[in-house]
Amino acid sequence: MGGGFRVLHLVRPFLSFLPEVQSADRKIPFREKVIYTVISLFIFLVCSQLPLYGIHSTTGADPFYWMRVILASNRGTVMELGITPIVTSGLVMQLLAGSKIIEVDNNVREDRALLNGAQKLLGILIAVGEAVAYVLSGMYGSVGQLGVGNAVLIIIQLCFAGIIVICLDELLQKGYGLGSGISLFIATNICENIIWKAFSPTTVNSGRGAEFEGAVIALFHLLITRTDKVRALREAFYRQNLPNVTNLLATVLIFLIVIYFQGFRVVLPVRSKNARGQQGSYPIKLFYTSNMPIILQSALVSNLYFISQLLYRKYSGNFIVNLLGKWKESEYSGQSVPVGGLAYYITAPSSLSDIVTHPFHGLFYIVFMLSACALFSKTWIEVSGSSARDVAKQLKEQQMVMPGHRESNLQKELNRYIPTAAAFGGICIGALTVLADLMGAIGSGTGILLAVTIIYQYFETFEKEKASELGFFGF
Amino acid sequence: MPRGSSQSQASSGSTSRPSPMGMAPRGSAAATAGMRRRRLGGGSSASTSSGVGGGASGSNMLRFYTDDAPGLKISPTVVLVMSLCFIGFVTALHVFGKLYLHKSGPGA
Repeated sequence: MGGGFRVLHLVRPFLSFLPEVQSADRKIPFREKVIYTVISLFIFLVCSQLPLYGIHSTTGADPFYWMRVILASNRGTVMELGITPIVTSGLVMQLLAGSKIIEVDNNVREDRALLNGAQKLLGILIAVGEAVAYVLSGMYGSVGQLGVGNAVLIIIQLCFAGIIVICLDELLQKGYGLGSGISLFIATNICENIIWKAFSPTTVNSGRGAEFEGAVIALFHLLITRTDKVRALREAFYRQNLPNVTNLLATVLIFLIVIYFQGFRVVLPVRSKNARGQQGSYPIKLFYTSNMPIILQSALVSNLYFISQLLYRKYSGNFIVNLLGKWKESEYSGQSVPVGGLAYYITAPSSLSDIVTHPFHGLFYIVFMLSACALFSKTWIEVSGSSARDVAKQLKEQQMVMPGHRESNLQKELNRYIPTAAAFGGICIGALTVLADLMGAIGSGTGILLAVTIIYQYFETFEKEKASELGFFGF
Repeated sequence: MPRGSSQSQASSGSTSRPSPMGMAPRGSAAATAGMRRRRLGGGSSASTSSGVGGGASGSNMLRFYTDDAPGLKISPTVVLVMSLCFIGFVTALHVFGKLYLHKSGPGA
């Protein structure tokens, strides 16, 4: 630790300018927490519908199309950036701290404060950078078209929205709300997307007469209007260009599978050293790191896509740029899709038949997903302080021991389960994501997995809150 | 002379390390025990306080900001009001933009 120059100290001059939500100085009642959560959610939803002022057009390729769902952002609205700044900065800082590039001593209060400050500062800087990049790259029309005033206004709106998301997230995490802002926003966005794809009343004309976008509505509409009922059913189940009923069923199936797997756990019995006869249990879940591996994986992939697309647009002839990714506009939606290079191989194949025709792509994708998820999962337990060593320390501080094992053996015993659970859980999460992608679940496999795990976490939080509330009254 | 030297040795020994007999050694043993107790107490209180922090940060995977940092302190109500003001501001921009365009549209 000895003195010298430390990167973290660079943040100190900025600390006093960073907005910081006060910690709750009293216990916030459950009802109040729900109210705070609902208001934050409301603000988020309004922001993700409110169009940005001053934009000219939102047509043209959307480099973030792939990650919209996961990053809780909406095109052309104030929430254009969504949670990208927070997630990216959090990811960067955790990885830097985890790999010891920045030295952080978690036991020193000032270090933790500095790390939080650095994370927030980086988040704001990323928001500013992305806003400027969006405007300058002509995503809303070229700067000349917009006028300098409007361009500045757009940047200000995007930055302020980023700061608001950071503050709302902090507000929810500091004990005023339930869960964390990031997960709440992601889950809301994905659920909104699924509901919309299922019941959307907008019609699309794709050459065979007007069709409803929503899968369920389209099913009934086709069944009623077509004379050939069998063909109508087949159309509703297998249409390619719009969400179909198979996609919806796949989504539901993935939901059920994930919830079933959430129950898998190893329960280690623990006993209190002080109070005799006080038994407890320490459950180690199969999904030990929950959805973290996919969040990290998708953040990585989305940044890679973004960089690759920008580079490809500028220097499409360069060999290395082509190795990173080649992009082409899709015929259906006008979105850029990767057709070559690394970006292509880490993109989900569009269907099972696609795997058969391009077996190498399919294989590479599956291997990439599984290994990335396992690796991120293992890294995450070290970074987030939930590794065997940390858990053993926590249990020791609570004066808990495992019956039949010596106190010094606790870490060894935990070490038998936790890394395995983390790696295997990561692989399972990755496999489920691949499965969901191949079955064509609505909102991409990653999105669904995130939504389910987050909703499940919320259920657990609700139960715990209710129980503790009852416990308080019971005393 | 030899007696005196031994006495001085004993007295010096009592201050540095405990010896099996004499008053001073017992006192020092008690003092060290007391010190040990105090150190133990200090150590345990420090470790519990750090343990609370660790537990809070480990309880949820997505918690990035759990600790208090020095900064521009704002209360949660201010955050919510600020967000609503921002929404209002953007809406107002839209409204004024429309009005301005309508006024300047026929003129231009």
